[in-house]
Amino acid sequence: MSNAIIPLLLDSLASAALIFFAAVGLTLVFSVLRVLNVAHGSLYSIGGYVAASICLFIASRQLNPYLSFLALLFSAIFVAAIFGPLIERGLVRWTYGKSEAVQILITFGLFLILEDLQRVIFGVQSFYEDAPMRLLGATSIGGVVYLNYQILLIAMALLVVVGLRLLINHTRLGRLITAVVTDREMAQSIGIDTNRIFILAFSLGVFLAALGGALATPTSGIAPGLGADTMVLAFAVAAIGGLGQIEGAALASLIVGLARVLAIYLAPSLDAVAPYAAMLLVLLIRPYGLFGSVTARRI
Amino acid sequence: MPTIIAAAAVIVLALLPLAAPWLQFVLTLAIAKGFAALGVAVLLRAGLISIGHAMFFAASAYAVAFLARAGVNDLGLLLILSVLGGALMGAIAGSFLVRYRAIFFAMLNLAVSMVFYALCAKLYGVTGGTDGMAVPVPAVFGIVLGEPAFKSVLFYLSLGLMVLVGLGVQRYLNSPLGHALSAVHTNEIRLEYLGIPVWAVLLIAYVVSAALAGLGGAIAGFAIGRVVPDFAFWTASGHLVLIAVLGGIGGVPGAFIGALFLELLHSAAVTVTDSWNLIVGMTLIIVIMFMPQGVHGLFARKEATSL
Amino acid sequence: MTSRGISVGVARCLSSLERLFRLDCGLPQRNVRWMVDGLAGALALGVVASTPAAAQDKPSAVGLGIFTFTSGPAAAYGMPGKNAADLMIDEINAKGGIGGVPVSATYVDEAQGAQGVIAEYRRLAGDAKNQVMVAALSSANCLALAPLAEQLEVPTVGWNCDTHQLLMDGKSKYVFRPNGNTVPEFIAYAMYLLDRKPDVKTVAIINPDYAFGHDAAKIFTAALKALKPDVEIVAELYPKPGSPNYQTEISRLATARPDVVFSNLWGADLENFVRQAAPRGIFTSSQVILALGETVLQRVPLPDGVIVGVLGDGWWMSPDAKAKPETVKFAEAYKARFGEYPVFPSIKMANALIYVKVAFDAAMQRNGGKWPTRAELADAMKGSKVETLTGTAQTRADNDGLVDQIVGVTVKTPAQQFPVIGDMVRYKGDGLMPQVGQDPLAWIATLKPEFAKNLPKPGSYK
Repeated sequence: MSNAIIPLLLDSLASAALIFFAAVGLTLVFSVLRVLNVAHGSLYSIGGYVAASICLFIASRQLNPYLSFLALLFSAIFVAAIFGPLIERGLVRWTYGKSEAVQILITFGLFLILEDLQRVIFGVQSFYEDAPMRLLGATSIGGVVYLNYQILLIAMALLVVVGLRLLINHTRLGRLITAVVTDREMAQSIGIDTNRIFILAFSLGVFLAALGGALATPTSGIAPGLGADTMVLAFAVAAIGGLGQIEGAALASLIVGLARVLAIYLAPSLDAVAPYAAMLLVLLIRPYGLFGSVTARRI
Repeated sequence: MPTIIAAAAVIVLALLPLAAPWLQFVLTLAIAKGFAALGVAVLLRAGLISIGHAMFFAASAYAVAFLARAGVNDLGLLLILSVLGGALMGAIAGSFLVRYRAIFFAMLNLAVSMVFYALCAKLYGVTGGTDGMAVPVPAVFGIVLGEPAFKSVLFYLSLGLMVLVGLGVQRYLNSPLGHALSAVHTNEIRLEYLGIPVWAVLLIAYVVSAALAGLGGAIAGFAIGRVVPDFAFWTASGHLVLIAVLGGIGGVPGAFIGALFLELLHSAAVTVTDSWNLIVGMTLIIVIMFMPQGVHGLFARKEATSL
Repeated sequence: MTSRGISVGVARCLSSLERLFRLDCGLPQRNVRWMVDGLAGALALGVVASTPAAAQDKPSAVGLGIFTFTSGPAAAYGMPGKNAADLMIDEINAKGGIGGVPVSATYVDEAQGAQGVIAEYRRLAGDAKNQVMVAALSSANCLALAPLAEQLEVPTVGWNCDTHQLLMDGKSKYVFRPNGNTVPEFIAYAMYLLDRKPDVKTVAIINPDYAFGHDAAKIFTAALKALKPDVEIVAELYPKPGSPNYQTEISRLATARPDVVFSNLWGADLENFVRQAAPRGIFTSSQVILALGETVLQRVPLPDGVIVGVLGDGWWMSPDAKAKPETVKFAEAYKARFGEYPVFPSIKMANALIYVKVAFDAAMQRNGGKWPTRAELADAMKGSKVETLTGTAQTRADNDGLVDQIVGVTVKTPAQQFPVIGDMVRYKGDGLMPQVGQDPLAWIATLKPEFAKNLPKPGSYK
């Protein structure tokens, strides 16, 4: 088993990166809007579908294959620009101040709608586009061949954690968001346009969801049902880290990733149980999650 | 007057399968889901939303399959034991879950149900994994029935249970224990000051709701003849909440009306369109936005949700 | 038109009432049934007397309920089946249908899960027009539908599912599988592997987490151990069907460094696995066996030398298939219509429909040209021997089918852009099957090296 330690750690990091991308948008939206967006998983898979479609288009026109890296980013922006304002203005805004039950139900309705829309638009066949993965090649580490793309994903995840922290702590927008999160009414009364902040924050959440889906496509296929699976995983991670905690989501992704990888290496029959068991364990001890706290609410 | 309408509705339901035999299965399933949705609705009274009740639905169905495997072969006994199983599971899970409120209650229910789902799906040697387990046709009071006869017995039994259990739940909700539920929602702290143990009130409600979901699951298991882990997936729990909310207008009968409406609409829609979820999602949003009485009690946001 | 529709509707209602009534009298527990269905009986009594027995007249169309995956990750495997059904039904109808009656199919998506599939099956079975069900693709759904088929007495043809548990009790009257089962399918791979790589020591298995994956692993392992006891299974992974990401599993396979990686993943799962495993060197470090590899030959660039097969004889480019003009015609028509050549699920579906048509013809011949009932159709399927597009399907006493097994390795050919199967062997179907009623795993354990010696060798099927 000792020769498996390096692969084990690398695999944990690689799967943690993918899990983090699925969860970070959910937790960000909750921190600002205090809405648990059950349709988050669908936005993740829409991001994946759009990215794969664009990459397939690039491949079919025999354009420069390196464009597909840009396509991954572009598709996330595209999805965020369309769905972010639309969903926030059209539906989510309506639930502010309502009970969690209403928020969950409204977004559950949206989830059902988006799942069917994907089926209508993208069909039922699975999508797969691995050009970005093949372009980067592979490296042998500890006797096991890894894709360089997997390592890129780990770096990207770190970049997103640091980037979000910088955005929140060191930019004007970040300070405005912090003000709204800390005290919504006070922020409003000193003249902050909270509506704009909500649209921006929600769109940022959609962007992160779609980016997660887009970045995952080169290493894994997309098919109907992905949204539902992603949703519940994102939910577990956000809950473990503490809803609304970005660093918490990062740490939780590591825990869930490690739990899954350990399960696959040591007890393969339990791999699907691991994330939820971890969630249950953490929530029973700390219902607010690892980083969450009862009184102060920070992002 | 409402009694007459309800009685007429039950008689119409009882006669429908004679006109269209395939409807019998759809109606049995609708009643089964109605029981589970009623369980969810009981907790909604207290402002608690559970995205995990499909677990109890599935647990009782699995209990039937396991009991049948162990040699129990009587409909009544299987129903009672499996519902007790669901209730026991509700008591265990509820004893720690009812300490939580709002989003945390919802999330913990989800977590528990997903652990259950994943275990059912992965323990291939015990539960048959994603293939699930067969639920055989049991004897009814010692009489061995053919499949069509049993399905008729099951349907009319479910119909009878729907009336009896529905009346029972109605009484429960109108009792002090039931009223305490709504009080938990509006002002929990006052309730504590009045000397009413909120924990016990909620635990009883949780066990009742788990037993209701379990009854539904057991009936569904018999009707389908197979139980699979998908019974417990989180979207199934979401659908139960959805039915409870859609039918919210009508109180206790509402859950059954919601379930019947949804199942019949589904049967009609599948032949016309694939986009069934689209219809349901839109209906749900429209009901919540424009027919707030359909979700009475949910709308007043609580001032402080204490943990 | 409207009046015709109404009269058809009324007739259907009546015929279903009639069925209900007839069943009533046939059952022993009359007291209970009387209480329950008494009203139905009384209602029906008056009406039925004046209606002719509809079942024996030639209907305006013969309905088939066809169950396959048309959505979700499994659709990559299920859609070729549906495509083949569309094409085959068009071909049958172009030649005058079955006994002059056109065939129409109702498709049911298996991706909705056992609950929905059962509900749909009941709904279709309730309509007397639907005389045969072609169900199902997934072993899980076949197992769920089999008791129902027996209870409702609807002839049900398992067009693809192959778990050996399905017909093991030998009591089946209405469930048929002109297809072979997991036992010969996976023994065939063990035999082929031992011929091609006799020094194999370590094997890793990655199969989907349900009956098909677990059964295949058991049979393949048992057959290997019976003939070469020192083989060691170093890893057994069962990812959930529909998982999009296999990176961790691939690392696990890589750290185990097995001589052989065996997998019966299928559909989009298989495509995902191959695309993720190939760049990470699994295909170069181990001999890979992809039991359902033929389905992805045209979609994913598989390297040379991967052991693949078709779980039966349904390889459209096999020497037998090429010798049959109708098979060649079918393959070309398929390519013209769907842009791809048929894969073996397409052939299995086409063969299943041929099987159904032959049963109709045989049943009508037996009862003097009258339109057959469901029971007569089941009788006609029993023990039948049907010439298919790619060989013969012999139905045994337990309703299981005997078909040959083709296994080979991927090779490049100048004739096609994608790799094809070379170095083939065609094992006789009955040679790899235990006798009716014999426990398959116990039978496999008794296999001796002589058993392998008498089998044809790789490359012998040209």
